[in-house]
Amino acid sequence: MSGTLRDVSLGQTSLYQKHIDLKAKMAPFAGYDMPIQYTSVKEEVIAVRENVGVFDVSHMGEFFVEGEAAHDFVDYIITNDFMGAELHKAVYSPLCREDGTVIDDLIAYKIGREEVLICVNAANIKKDWDWIVAQSKKFKVSLTNKSEQYSLLAIQGPKSEEILKSLEILDDIEFPYYAAKRLNVLNQDIILARTGYTGEDGFEVFCSHEFAGELWDKFLSKGVTPCGLASRDVLRLEVCYPLYGHEINDEVTPLDAGLKWTVKMDKENYIGKLALSEYKPKYRLVKLSLDKGIPRDDYPILDEKENVIGKVTSGTMSVALGKGICLAHIEKEKFPESKKFLVEIRGRKYEANYHTKAFISGGHK
Amino acid sequence: MASQIPSELKYTKDHEWAKIEGDVATIGITDFAQSQLGDIVFVELPEVGTTLDKEATFGVVESIKSVSDLYSPLTGEVIESNTDLEASPEACNSEPYGSWMIKLKLSNPNEVEELMSPEDYAGICDE
Repeated sequence: MSGTLRDVSLGQTSLYQKHIDLKAKMAPFAGYDMPIQYTSVKEEVIAVRENVGVFDVSHMGEFFVEGEAAHDFVDYIITNDFMGAELHKAVYSPLCREDGTVIDDLIAYKIGREEVLICVNAANIKKDWDWIVAQSKKFKVSLTNKSEQYSLLAIQGPKSEEILKSLEILDDIEFPYYAAKRLNVLNQDIILARTGYTGEDGFEVFCSHEFAGELWDKFLSKGVTPCGLASRDVLRLEVCYPLYGHEINDEVTPLDAGLKWTVKMDKENYIGKLALSEYKPKYRLVKLSLDKGIPRDDYPILDEKENVIGKVTSGTMSVALGKGICLAHIEKEKFPESKKFLVEIRGRKYEANYHTKAFISGGHK
Repeated sequence: MASQIPSELKYTKDHEWAKIEGDVATIGITDFAQSQLGDIVFVELPEVGTTLDKEATFGVVESIKSVSDLYSPLTGEVIESNTDLEASPEACNSEPYGSWMIKLKLSNPNEVEELMSPEDYAGICDE
């Protein structure tokens, strides 16, 4: 809680000064000095669930794949089905090694017949880039890492469409969930996608650094709530979206993290297919809530007999439920049939409620 | 917005306040602490009868995304623990100086001299 000196080795997004002017609490995240919260995490979460909020997520990475084999190549490196997606649609997928372990999770946007935008986690930009370049040799594609050239704003919440229409960024054309298009709006070339990480309806705007500042100001002038990474984490956890470095990492496969739906066994050859087709998962991902106490990362999970059987991968206080929630890895062979779990918090054991569905359903279209 | 720092209290560098009355200290967290933590959603306090050394951890205060230890400013025995805060932890945000956490019977009242004055504490709250 003590004052911190600015770490000059940290990167800054194009909106850095706006965050400082808004007196955001800043903290290092993936090498960037990022806004964690502006006023209140709770208010920011509620704004996105009930109204509309905007996040600066410019730290994330943008790779462009171009060429006649662009779609084939992306389909080959990810485990989810990319070929089956229509033009101008996006696909969420893990990016796996031959052995099925997860390098990262990403969204691939089919923005042209010969063009794909891949958006990756900030902390993994170099690892992903090196991997993807190394896999591309046999394909007629050109790859460009434009992570430094693009800013990314995520406007999220049930009123986000209304805001984009009022600013003439979106017209009356159909723009369904997970649509992704290059557009020229307000004389600016942008890529607009109906994606996000909150479970709510919302859009992500990939644009120049200059336009990002202009857009941020326009959003705020329309009453959009600026939201930090803390509220983003609560929002994604309430709808049980995985986070790299938590539910998925270099040591596990998508099948250890409830992502079986993203691993397509009926798809033609792709990296990791063979290993994943034979893989026996080590972990099962569970969703737990507590009536008392708040589960946090790495807290032990115990069975009824108080044997340690797993650990929390992400935990927080849920704003929607008003109680502690978590995702946890349970060792598959120790998974209790009774589905009774205890969470150990500072030496005390708390009974957990087992959830079969996400803590809340979210309102995305 | 500058934090409130009541002049009748003593403070620590860990952003706790202490109100000294004879050999009893009433302890809580400061306005600066609550504003840094954000929405406080959980408070865990020690049982009555617990003995605490100066700077020992006596409990935790949690915001939505963080867990922070509470450090005892003084050595003594817990004679009261404000269990009301378990039901209404948000009071630590709205009334940090009304939301006392523990009362300690001091075993070494001389330690009070080592606590910070309001003026000195104000100095560490200004970055």
